[in-house]
Amino acid sequence: MIDGSAPMIRLGIRAAGPFATIVGCYLLFAGHNNPGGGFAAGLVFGAVLALRTIAGFHRPTYGITLVAAGVFVVAGVALMPLLWGDPLFDQQVLSVEAPLLGKIKTGSALPFDLGVAAIVVGTVIAALDGLGAAEFAADPPANSGGGANSDRGASSDRGERE
Amino acid sequence: MIFGLLVLHIAVCVLLAGAGRRLGRGSLLVGAVPPAFSALWGAARLGAGPPATADLAWVRGLDLAMTFRVDAFATVMTLIVSGIGVLIFVYAFGYFGPDAAHTGRFATTLLAFSTSMLGLVWADSVWTLFVFWELTSVTSFLLVGHKSTDTEVLVAARRALMVTAGGGLVLLAGLLLVTGAAGTTLISELTPVDGAAATAGAVLVMIAAATKSAQVPFHSWLPGAMVAPTPVSAYLHAATMVKAGVVLVAVAGPALSGIAAWKGCGIAFGVVSIVWGALGALRHRDAKLILAWGTVSQLGLLITLFSVGTPAAVLAAVSLLVAHALFKGSLFLIVGEIDVRAGTRHIDELGGLARSMPVAFTAALLAGLSMAGAPPLLGFVAKETAINAALELDGLEAWVVGFGVIGGSVLTVAYTFRFLAAVFGPGPETPLSTRRRALSVPPAVLAVAGIAAFAVLGPVDAVLEPAAVRLSGGAAVGHLHRWPGLEPALVISAVVLVVGAIVGLAMGRRPGQAPADHAARWTDASIDGIVTFGREACARVQHGSLPVYLVTMAAVTALAATPFLAHVSSDHLVAWDTPLQGVLAATVVGAAIALSFVGTRLAAGLALGAAGIAVAAVFVLHGAADLALTQLLVEAAIVVGFVLAFGHLSRSFPMTGLRWRAVRMTVAGLGGAAVVIGLAAASGDPVAAPPLAEMATASVDEGGGSNIVNVILTDIRGLDTLGEVLVLATVALGVQALARASASTRGSAP
Repeated sequence: MIDGSAPMIRLGIRAAGPFATIVGCYLLFAGHNNPGGGFAAGLVFGAVLALRTIAGFHRPTYGITLVAAGVFVVAGVALMPLLWGDPLFDQQVLSVEAPLLGKIKTGSALPFDLGVAAIVVGTVIAALDGLGAAEFAADPPANSGGGANSDRGASSDRGERE
Repeated sequence: MIFGLLVLHIAVCVLLAGAGRRLGRGSLLVGAVPPAFSALWGAARLGAGPPATADLAWVRGLDLAMTFRVDAFATVMTLIVSGIGVLIFVYAFGYFGPDAAHTGRFATTLLAFSTSMLGLVWADSVWTLFVFWELTSVTSFLLVGHKSTDTEVLVAARRALMVTAGGGLVLLAGLLLVTGAAGTTLISELTPVDGAAATAGAVLVMIAAATKSAQVPFHSWLPGAMVAPTPVSAYLHAATMVKAGVVLVAVAGPALSGIAAWKGCGIAFGVVSIVWGALGALRHRDAKLILAWGTVSQLGLLITLFSVGTPAAVLAAVSLLVAHALFKGSLFLIVGEIDVRAGTRHIDELGGLARSMPVAFTAALLAGLSMAGAPPLLGFVAKETAINAALELDGLEAWVVGFGVIGGSVLTVAYTFRFLAAVFGPGPETPLSTRRRALSVPPAVLAVAGIAAFAVLGPVDAVLEPAAVRLSGGAAVGHLHRWPGLEPALVISAVVLVVGAIVGLAMGRRPGQAPADHAARWTDASIDGIVTFGREACARVQHGSLPVYLVTMAAVTALAATPFLAHVSSDHLVAWDTPLQGVLAATVVGAAIALSFVGTRLAAGLALGAAGIAVAAVFVLHGAADLALTQLLVEAAIVVGFVLAFGHLSRSFPMTGLRWRAVRMTVAGLGGAAVVIGLAAASGDPVAAPPLAEMATASVDEGGGSNIVNVILTDIRGLDTLGEVLVLATVALGVQALARASASTRGSAP
């Protein structure tokens, strides 16, 4: 849809992807002390994937797998403390002195946030898939490279673009 | 040791699941190893002093623990479950020929069942018992349905599962009520209970026991389950699994026998089953079905005796439990051998087997006479004790139980003799295939055990008496007698034998028709009815109209807010903190109104975006950075969604009529009003100061983070977040399923 007619948008999406991913990672790790968190990070990752999908770089099909993995992690973090007699969701705080980086403080909230992010990304991908993302990956442009695209899908609209 | 044995069972089970295909028939011999160890352990513990206990805290936070306690009774049951288990594995090795399919799978499931049954008899916590109870139902379902290509087999397996697993649910409810009344979940600590809740619980537990132990009217699954391979019928449906209900009644007896309803229910189930089961055994013409109906009758006798609960009755029940496992297991295995070698087990097609299968005939004679209660066999001792126990009662109970025990005995003798005469009697000789030693040894061992137990009754009594003492709450139960002397019971026994033998031999070879199994048909019809009802109810509620779903949801939300109307007060309401909020609110309202008037989808998307971004700005004004960030990101993701969806949809909305628009605006207005009312009521009627300070300290101290919003999400109210992300995951699944469904309908269209 976009690929043939709007090279600038495609270029913009490609260029912005890595930066947006870094922002997402920042939100994921910063969330405990600053604005951010798993939900916001998942939305950023999801938006990156969504944009790459409509630009035809990507054909994500692993939405449900991500959701399932996220549910496992989240439920695990919630239920594990019960096994050693602590209440549900008991927070384990971990503090490490790392060389160069100084003191790193983290805890079981991090895997929980990771799980939440995975579920959000998975949901976005599943929604894209449900809305018919397949057609956007129909014709991988020659210069996309990176193997991020798929050659699946109908090739019916190839003719009208070229 | 208890855990060691369970782990051994499970480990071999896993091994067989992995390597069963390669081991083939040999996996049955591998599967015999863990039961052999358990049986040896049980034998070593016979008569030993204090019970062995083991417990494993499982989920400490919920006080869930796996608790086992192997007392005198559990030791006897261990010997039955594992000892007979070993024989069954060996027998199955002969039953399945060298080229039989799926023997690895069979061995795995059989061992899994054996493990579940051991767990059930060892359990001390009622929840441990419940888990293993359900596991026996599931493994039984798999074993009954072993020949999964046959529709009849599948129907029978489904019936067995639905009845026994449904009984499991009843058991769960009953256990909740009983343990609630007793104040403990450990069977060994149960004390006599009374009260309405305990009575209801006791009746439910009794019903559950009746489903598992195939009592009328829940019996129809047991004859149906005879489509299973014979080792399964002998092991699950004669010796062990059907005893689970009996075991439950036995161990719960000391606590519940004071409840009249418990006793009444148990005796009613039992006596009706004794008679109806025995009549079934007299009428059927398939040797295996004769035995299955006989099992219904014998289980009825066991339930009756345990429900009566007097010390003598309990002793009789325990000895009958052991005797039944031996003789019924043996008879089933013999019928299985006949089935394999003659290719049929229909009594009209069998003849001359007494001469052509001498070993099987001798074993069947021993086992059959034990079943009939003839000396010198364990069955005789058990039946004498039972008759004595019945004679000790008085009042109505004496008449009903006496009728059950004595009348049942006559019928039992009759169907036993009919069985022996019909299966082994003279007739045109049935051609047989060659003898397999693995098929003939196990039933012979079980049959000889019946006479051996009579010969050395002293040690047997030393084992069974403590078990009965355990089950009668510590009261003295007396002893088993090899020869009680010339008592009323002996006279009754002799009359019973003579009358029964005459009836049975007279009926032996009489031609006739097997009765139609109405109970099975009704059970299947009610299962089908439940399925149909579920499907139709679902079709009514889930009609598939998206607008109606949305309107319903919004209308329910609006109605849910009505109770808050009373709490709204204008004292705490202010117009705005800054005028900018007013501007933003006007934007949101304007966008919303515009949204309901525009006709094209693109314009609607724009209006929706405007409303969303204005809301994000409101969040910013309140200093809620996290909310604003999330709101903006959601808006961004939705834009991409629109881009994708617009490709498939028409440019304008399909239903833009005035009436439909009015409905939507009314519902939307109601929904909005509901939220406003809720919020105004919440802020106008505070019950306590906002816990901001506490949250802030808790967030840093316990959550280890300084962003309160996120600590609340991941820690303080983590359970809410868990629920929310699970909703999200469900949505993802739903979207995917809808997409698949529409893709396949599109694909199938030309």
